[in-house]
Amino acid sequence: MHELGLSRNIVSIVTENAGDKPVARVKLSVGPLACVETTALQFCWDIVTQDSLLTGASLEIEEAEGDTFLIKEFEYREMA
Amino acid sequence: MCGKCGCSDPTNEVKMVDPATGVETLIRHGGLVQADDHSNGHHHDHDHHHHQPHEGEDKPHVHGPNGEVISLEQAVLSKNDQIAARNRGWFEGRGVLALNLVSSPGSGKTTLLERTIRELKGKRAIYVIEGDQMTSNDAERVRDAGAKALQINTGAGCHLEADMIADAVEQLNPEPGSILMIENVGNLVCPSMFDLGERMKVAVISTTEGEDKPLKYPHMFRAAEVVLINKMDIAEVVEFDEDACRSNIAEVNPRATVLSLSAKTGQNFEPWINKLVEHRQ
Repeated sequence: MHELGLSRNIVSIVTENAGDKPVARVKLSVGPLACVETTALQFCWDIVTQDSLLTGASLEIEEAEGDTFLIKEFEYREMA
Repeated sequence: MCGKCGCSDPTNEVKMVDPATGVETLIRHGGLVQADDHSNGHHHDHDHHHHQPHEGEDKPHVHGPNGEVISLEQAVLSKNDQIAARNRGWFEGRGVLALNLVSSPGSGKTTLLERTIRELKGKRAIYVIEGDQMTSNDAERVRDAGAKALQINTGAGCHLEADMIADAVEQLNPEPGSILMIENVGNLVCPSMFDLGERMKVAVISTTEGEDKPLKYPHMFRAAEVVLINKMDIAEVVEFDEDACRSNIAEVNPRATVLSLSAKTGQNFEPWINKLVEHRQ
């Protein structure tokens, strides 16, 4: 549930850390007890990243232990 | 909006109502993310020559695979958790016992609060923050029972978050040594994720809900330090099996203190009141 708000948190945390450079990829770490539905995160990802530094960024999710719910890393977009 | 269940986060307006004065305060403005006009994405200059199409995406990709990778390792809920930690410090500093009351709708949280307020009268000051999507009915009920109360309306939101509590506490200003009851939005799923800064979560389950609820919603019962089984006065009529319920609770949370009582009749209410007074100091 509430994955829309969670993904919005993710966008704002990454944006804060990215400076003003566009981001190509975000990787999360999610545990089975985190109460997070990863398909729902993917579902709203396009909408919450729209018109942000994360526009078009992909969302990767790796499985983790317990109630882990972290933004593992992000990758800057390579500027042409 | 959540694609699974249709529940939403408090992204729209969240307001606070003081039932004593009727004054409404907007504590969260709507429109953090606009429902976008061009959600079809066809206003963009699309480059449709995808080299490595990503699953489920139809967006232009101009990135290369070797962009700089920044390691972040930041908890997604870190902002909420920081505010919750601040709330917790504030409560501890003043010796305020803050409890986060969680349950499904209709388990009797508000009736429980009403009796708790009456029983504690003269023993310890009690303040209440009521969370509901709409109406200030509950805040009015607990105010009539004798507690100072504030209502938070989350609108579409399915749970309370720490910043709402910070705002409410500023206005309520609970006196040192008092009890602050936070009645969360009736929902056994989302509130388990959001720390509000409480001393502990108290889960309420009622005899009409079925003994297997703790197994169906393990996250919530795992997070609770105390579980109250309410509506024991009608347990027989609804053929409630208390032993089965207790063993289900123990299965997901062996450390929980389980008290069965009836908020309506007051049956076996004393251990609960004692538990609250115990936490004094």
